[in-house]
Parts: sequence; C-alpha cells; structure tokens
Amino acid sequence: MNNKGTFQSAFIMLFGALILQLFPVASDWGLFKPNFLLLMMVAWILYFPEKYGIEFAILMGIIADFIFSTPLGYHVLTFSICGLILIFFHRIVVYLQFIHRIILVFMMIMLFEFMQAAIDATLDNPLYLEGIFSLAIISALCWIPMDKFVARIYLQQK
Amino acid sequence: MRKTFFALLLGLLLITLDTYTSVFETTRSEISKITIPLKLLANFPYQVNKWVAMNTTSRSKLEQKNVSLEKERLILLGQLQRSAELAAENLRLRQLLNATELVMQSVLVTEVIGGSPNPMNHNVTVDRGANDGVYIGQPVLDAEGLMGQVIHVFDNYSTVLLITDINHALPVQLLRNGLRSIVEGTSDYNEISLRYVSPTVDIVEGDKLVSSGLGGRFPVGYPVGTVTAISQNPGEKFMEIKVTPSAKIDRSKHLLLVFTSKDGDIIKALNE
Repeated sequence: MNNKGTFQSAFIMLFGALILQLFPVASDWGLFKPNFLLLMMVAWILYFPEKYGIEFAILMGIIADFIFSTPLGYHVLTFSICGLILIFFHRIVVYLQFIHRIILVFMMIMLFEFMQAAIDATLDNPLYLEGIFSLAIISALCWIPMDKFVARIYLQQK
Repeated sequence: MRKTFFALLLGLLLITLDTYTSVFETTRSEISKITIPLKLLANFPYQVNKWVAMNTTSRSKLEQKNVSLEKERLILLGQLQRSAELAAENLRLRQLLNATELVMQSVLVTEVIGGSPNPMNHNVTVDRGANDGVYIGQPVLDAEGLMGQVIHVFDNYSTVLLITDINHALPVQLLRNGLRSIVEGTSDYNEISLRYVSPTVDIVEGDKLVSSGLGGRFPVGYPVGTVTAISQNPGEKFMEIKVTPSAKIDRSKHLLLVFTSKDGDIIKALNE
C-alpha cells in the first residue's frame, strides 16, 4: 500500500471514528462511551510515528475540540501529551505482546482522563472521576479492532 | 523537542484564548455547520428503526392508538375551552389594573436530530432553524416542562442548551407560595439545583417550581421541576436543594419551540 492508500485509510477511519463519536446513546451510557478519536490517534501513532506524529495529534485534538464543544486547545493539549508519550515509547511498544499493548492503551486512557480532570478543575468545570476505570476498560477493548485495522495497513505497507 | 514545546504551548495558548475571549466564536459556529451532516448520519440508525417500526405496526395496534389519541384529544379540547375562558378573564382583569404587557405563546414542533458527544455538555440539535423563524434565546419545551433555550441558529438547524447543563441558569418561583429563586444545571440529566435559598424560607419536598418570567427570556408559568431533597450543611448560608426536572430532558425526541407575541396579538387571538 502506498502513501496515498495509507492516507485514504486514515481518512476513512477518521470518518468512522467521528460517526461513532456522534452516535447517540442513552445518557447513562454516555459517560462510558470511549473517545474514538483518541483511540484512532493512538493506533496510527503506534504504527506510523514518522508519518502520523505530533502534528497528527494536534490536528486530532482540534477536531475533537470542535466535535465535543470544549474550549479550543483542551483536547489539543491532552492529545499532544498522549501522542508525545507514544512517540517516545514507540520503539519499545512495537515489541510488546498484544495483551501488553492493550494494557498500555488502558493506562493511556486513564492518564488522558486524569489530565482532562485536571484541566476541568482549573476551568471550574464539573468532574466525573467515578467512571474512569470502567471507561478505560471499555476503551481498551474498543481499541482492539482499530489496532487490527491499522496493523493490516502497516503489514501491507511493509 | 522543539515540536513538543510548540504543541504544549499551542494547547495552553488556545485554551486561554478560547476561555477568556470570543475570538474563535465565528470559527466554531462555521465548523458546527459541517458537523450537522455528520450528526444526521450518526442518527440514521434511529431513523431507520423508527421507519421500520412505523411500517410494521399491525392495523389493530394502530386502531387502538387512534382511539386512545382521540380520547386524549377530547379531554385536552375540554381543558382548552376552560383555559381560553380563564385567559380572557385574566386579560380583562389586567386591563382593569393597567398591568404591563401580557404575552401569548404559539409553538412550533421540532425533532431532536443529534446530541452532544460530550456527556458533560448538555445540548441537542433540532431540525428547525432560521428559515422557520427560530432565534437565539428562544425557549424550548417538551410535553412535560421547560427543556432549555436556543443558543445557535443555522438555516435549517439549531442547537438547544438544556436546563441541566452546568452553564445554564433559569429564574423560577415556587408554585405554592411564589418564592423566587434560580435553578442551575448540574450536568446530571435527572437533577438541577435550586440556589440561594435561605434556611428560614417556607419550602418542602414535593414543591413544584415554574418559570418566573424574570429576565424576560422564559415565559412565565411553565413547569420546571419538583423539589426532591433539601439539606443544609453547617456553616453554609444557603440550603442545598435538589430538583428533578419536569421535562424528560434525555428522552424527549419531539420538542416545542415557543414564540411569544404581545398584547395586540392576544386580543386578536382571543377574538378569533
């Protein structure tokens, strides 16, 4: 698969992530809905850190800010930090077993949620920390098909 | 390293600018237009489900529903006759007292086509916009009570801020004794908070709250909620009062946009 094909796949995945993010769910379930944009960003940065690096994280953060109606920069900051951590540990992560990568994503989601809670506390927004653990588990499970999809593209690229 | 620094600085700068200024307001409004088709697409499975349900309902069920709706209509028409009589009497009394303006409301039915993906932001997108006369600040109801107000208007769609949103406040009064206060959203769909109520005032669990009309945004007398819990923490100046909203904030699919008109229109409407 060439660069154009990779870009098309990323675009299709972004479109899918946006639809899943906007898909209406009952209010009780809304708090456990994964951040599909973050999961997508994690999957692409893990496999293509050279092409989809920090600039990609910033772009995804801006899109997330518009979609979630949060102050601009809110997701840019958190997505960038998550992206930086992934880029930094990328060489190690590549050699991890699949189950360990899922645990890594789980920890990444926990970190992401705590960072958001810190920003919310600074901006005097309401905090919801009770559901973070469940949300991280659900997100890590939702990340599996995304990982499989990007892994296939990665193998075709190689 | 330079990119890292740039990303963090950009994030902090954007947060500061967007929180304390309104420089991105126009951009945000324009980009919201792009997200509308995406919301419609995300809502497509619900529309398909609705269409299938409508087309597969048996004739007997439809007949039953029709009979029940006909009964309901008759009861409501009876109540409306009484209400029209009361409205006319109220108008005459207000004219005798030289009271200030009396407003009358007409409504427009609208359907929810999308919600906020952020569980902490309570807003919905409805399928009526500037082309239907919708305006910013317009009150929105469901069949049970006040839902919120319009905050963004596009040509064919609008965004409604719900009364449960943390950034929403609404002037209310107690139906029983007319006590005025303010209810604020708590980011919980089943709870709003009555603020600034002194421990000495007469308020009990089960009291009904209606909009007071103060501030001029919401019309007077629409149900807002019922007081469900009252508590006071030692050292606090005001009581902590929890209210359950009357409207089915997270379940209603069909809403009413309220249009208000002044005295002249009400007299004309009553004459008609």
